[in-house]
Amino acid sequence: MKSIERYHPADSFLNTDSFPSVWCPGCGIGTAVYTFIESVKEVNIDLDKIAVISGIGCTGKIAECLKLNTSSVTDGSVVDCAVQLKEKDKDLTVAVFLNNADFLLSGAKDFIDAGKKGADLIVIYVNNFICAISENKIFPISPFMRMSIDNEFELPYNIPYLAKSCGANYVARWTPIHAGWMKYSIIEGILKKGFSVIEVVSPCLLYNANNGSIQDAVDRMRFYNDNSEIKVGESAENLDLRSQNKVIIGKFMDSEEKAG
Amino acid sequence: MKVEIYIIKERCKGCGICVEVCQTKVLELSEELNSQGFRTPNVINPEECLNCGMCEMFCSDFAIWVSIETEKVGV
Ligand code: SF4
Ligand code: SF4
Ligand code: SF4
Repeated sequence: MKSIERYHPADSFLNTDSFPSVWCPGCGIGTAVYTFIESVKEVNIDLDKIAVISGIGCTGKIAECLKLNTSSVTDGSVVDCAVQLKEKDKDLTVAVFLNNADFLLSGAKDFIDAGKKGADLIVIYVNNFICAISENKIFPISPFMRMSIDNEFELPYNIPYLAKSCGANYVARWTPIHAGWMKYSIIEGILKKGFSVIEVVSPCLLYNANNGSIQDAVDRMRFYNDNSEIKVGESAENLDLRSQNKVIIGKFMDSEEKAG
Repeated sequence: MKVEIYIIKERCKGCGICVEVCQTKVLELSEELNSQGFRTPNVINPEECLNCGMCEMFCSDFAIWVSIETEKVGV
């Protein structure tokens, strides 16, 4: 309302020069960053002891906009870089922002290795159902009914199940509409010793994976509000995005020992 | 309770999410454009604001926030 001589509560964590941000109007990545900042504030750890690693593409820009120890590395080596950083300094809290290109396209092996090792990381995987270079190809997470120009299709991956089977201690899935819950998940993930994976189902607005149209942010938010269902403790086998009418969200796993 | 709503118009991208999530209809997308050509939200009935922070949480561009501290002025 007033013209601005004051600061946003998150501004002390943000590289304000990089604003307005590069993300599309209403993209869920911004909400994920906001909730991450809120949870860091709540956990109250020394800001020198946090490192944020991101890869390429839209989530890669998170490293640019945060005023913490951040690094944006090439795709495929994001989790590996985080694991090595954590090995160098055990006190560090290492958060990793992944997108489809960093994870399923080239970094899946590192992710599985980190899970098997039980690396103490928090992985926030922003699943936007698209990978720009796969625009007319299918992709491990392409929605069920989408076909490539050659009429191929592929069944999408069940990420929470993958995370659980490779040994994560904490697995949750939220959408940006559930930012309040997501905040507590990120807090729990930061405090948890072990591999924590939080999937943020935040479909890309620019490119609707079903028919390639541009979406309205408000419609998308409303759709995910109406079509998601919270089922805490649901077993990870049932979390497939293709076999359900509603997106099942919630905290699915929180244990001290490694599953796997 | 007097709640102040702050909007940085230059950061806003006119997505309208803050208008949509506000349950008490405090905000409205105006016809006013910022320098990048986005419609920015306006506060139409500030006395209805509950300080719930929903607009702040869902704004993906860190452009809007609410505060009940009316006296403290930064910078
Ligand atoms: S809407 Fe899609 S293209 Fe735009 S910032 Fe979000 S993920 Fe990237
Ligand atoms: S704080 Fe809540 S009531 Fe006030 S403007 Fe924001 S969303 Fe509306
Ligand atoms: S949510 Fe943020 S970017 Fe979107 S219209 Fe409101 S103030 Fe602007």
